[in-house]
Amino acid sequence: MFLQILVNGVVLGCLYACIAAGFSLVWGVLNVINLMHGSFIVLGSYLAWGAYHSLGFSPWVTLAIAAPLFYVAGFLVQRGVLNRVMAAPVLVTLTLTFGMDLILNNAMILAFKADYRKLILDPPLGTIAWGSVVVPVDRLVATVFALVLTAALYVLLRRTRMGRAIIAVRLDRDAARLMGVDVPVTYAAAFGLGAAMAGCAGVLLALIFPISPLSSLPYLGKAFVVCVLGGLGSVPGAVLGGLVLGLVESFGALAIGPEHAVTLSFALLIGFLVFRPQGLLGKRGFE
Amino acid sequence: MTARSLRRTLACAAVAAAPFVLSTGASAQETIRFGAPLPLTGALAPEALKQQQGYDLWAEQVNKAGGIDVGGRKMKVEIVYTDYQSNTPRAVQAAEQLITQEKVNFLFSPFGSGAAKAASTVSEKYRMPTIASTASSSQVYDQGYRYLFGTFTPNDTLTTPLTQIVSQKAPQVKRVAIIARNDLFPLAIAQEMEKSAKKHGMDVVMFEKYAINTMDHSSALAQVKAANADWIFATGYINDLVLIRKQMSDQRIGAPVVTMIAGPAYQEFIDAAGAGAENISSAAWWHPAVRYQGKDIFGTADNYVKLFREKYNVTPDYAQASSSVSGALFQMAIEKAGSLDREKVRDALAGMNVMTFWGPVHFGKTGQIDSLEPPVFQIQGGKTVVVHPPEIRQGELKLGVGMPQ
Repeated sequence: MFLQILVNGVVLGCLYACIAAGFSLVWGVLNVINLMHGSFIVLGSYLAWGAYHSLGFSPWVTLAIAAPLFYVAGFLVQRGVLNRVMAAPVLVTLTLTFGMDLILNNAMILAFKADYRKLILDPPLGTIAWGSVVVPVDRLVATVFALVLTAALYVLLRRTRMGRAIIAVRLDRDAARLMGVDVPVTYAAAFGLGAAMAGCAGVLLALIFPISPLSSLPYLGKAFVVCVLGGLGSVPGAVLGGLVLGLVESFGALAIGPEHAVTLSFALLIGFLVFRPQGLLGKRGFE
Repeated sequence: MTARSLRRTLACAAVAAAPFVLSTGASAQETIRFGAPLPLTGALAPEALKQQQGYDLWAEQVNKAGGIDVGGRKMKVEIVYTDYQSNTPRAVQAAEQLITQEKVNFLFSPFGSGAAKAASTVSEKYRMPTIASTASSSQVYDQGYRYLFGTFTPNDTLTTPLTQIVSQKAPQVKRVAIIARNDLFPLAIAQEMEKSAKKHGMDVVMFEKYAINTMDHSSALAQVKAANADWIFATGYINDLVLIRKQMSDQRIGAPVVTMIAGPAYQEFIDAAGAGAENISSAAWWHPAVRYQGKDIFGTADNYVKLFREKYNVTPDYAQASSSVSGALFQMAIEKAGSLDREKVRDALAGMNVMTFWGPVHFGKTGQIDSLEPPVFQIQGGKTVVVHPPEIRQGELKLGVGMPQ
């Protein structure tokens, strides 16, 4: 049972990393706490659900559609709305994304109702077993994709011109501007990337979780905890934070009962905020 | 006459006519007013919406048929709603306000056991016949009050028949694992299940609670697997139970009996769980599949479902049906009393013994219904099949959920 719970925890952790990566990027680079993140994920799930059940697209195909679609949507939202308040204190952007989330979430309730739906693959992917340890294939595939997507984001940030610009802006906005980096476009690109990560996470999670607009808040909550654990704006931090959270919840549920697993993760959040606010891989003093 | 002056004239006319319109409403009573304090906004809003749908459908049907016969005079009905914003103390104020200011003739309780109990004091104070359509706890009714009646039987009436059927049908089922959402109703049902199982000589090998908004049940399920349970009993709402069922498949967990409350009563659950829903058993106070020949305005569950679907385009569940039958019970009590006199209607309710589309209705000494046997049902072939009580049984309980064939 120990091994099974270890595997469950690792798989869950990778899913959490996938939920949090885009949120962490936006928070770290733009200093914007994007409260729409959870709704973006749910929207991605609906996209996967609709594409599969009405068009017959497998979620793997939908991933390729979701990434550019959410990137463009995120880019436009940032350019059109958020960019106007980028210089304002964090509370203003927080309120703005909160308001936009209310609109987006209620629009989803109008369009899809609050009913829970489920993407059911036909035939199902099934499970594979090593001895007594059973792993569902859909979670495994989602885990691999989550790691690949997160790695791709990492490479993008480190190796491409746009990625370097994003990191430059994150380190020092004014210096980056002096070096000829177009800061507003870079912001929009970072926000677009965050949205694309959320959309892709949503497509993957549609295989695993029931889909409803009401799920957006729990997703957002997990993203928040993972970011604080791992460190803001750091892609490896999101993976590490996700893994820590997944393992803590899984073993916590075993040790002190599932009733307290969520309490434990939030206790961890408070502990980190007090004793290590920069997270596991974050740099101290970075704003 | 220009458009603007026409508008002004019409506005003046409307203002001038207003007192007449209002006064005709206030003088001789034409309609019977029913008060319904509901949590129309806030956390409980989805539940309130269901109750509202149930009351509205009943009122619409009554008015379509000309109204309620009150001693030879047909009177239409009107439901007066107030929103208490999912805030229980406000539910009590809302109930009182409906009685004293809105001058309603009769009252429906607010949602759930807690608020219904709180508001029952007001009903008692004003001697106001009140029907609670969503309160199951016996603690709501054991206060010695005379004016409160309820259409839900106590929670143990859901778990006891289930346990009886399972112990008859599958005496080898001995090890019960219970996973409960740590929330009022799901936890109460799980605790009743624990009692019922022990009473029938079964071992409760695991009892775990999980928090609201839990996104992963794999650890709890790994423990269920290790406990080698014959009967997995999970409580929660649709999202929890769909996820638990999915994660059971993920870890290749099966059992002869798997029971889930309260998801399988809803079509949404069957759609979302897909093939995983097969052979899952459940119980609820009512189900569209029940077959009673009622004397109420709806008559049968079939007719009720048909009318409901015509109006709302969804299939009703027990919450909506309970609200509708509460209205229908008031209607029958008023017709029997032949007046709107509160004492007479109260006595008619207390002495009621009638068959409805909801099932047989008789209120016990406390006011809580004691005649209803809540149906036990199972998903078989993607459809809901009633397996108990015998009068309305459609099939036998089948064993085996997620087990190797």
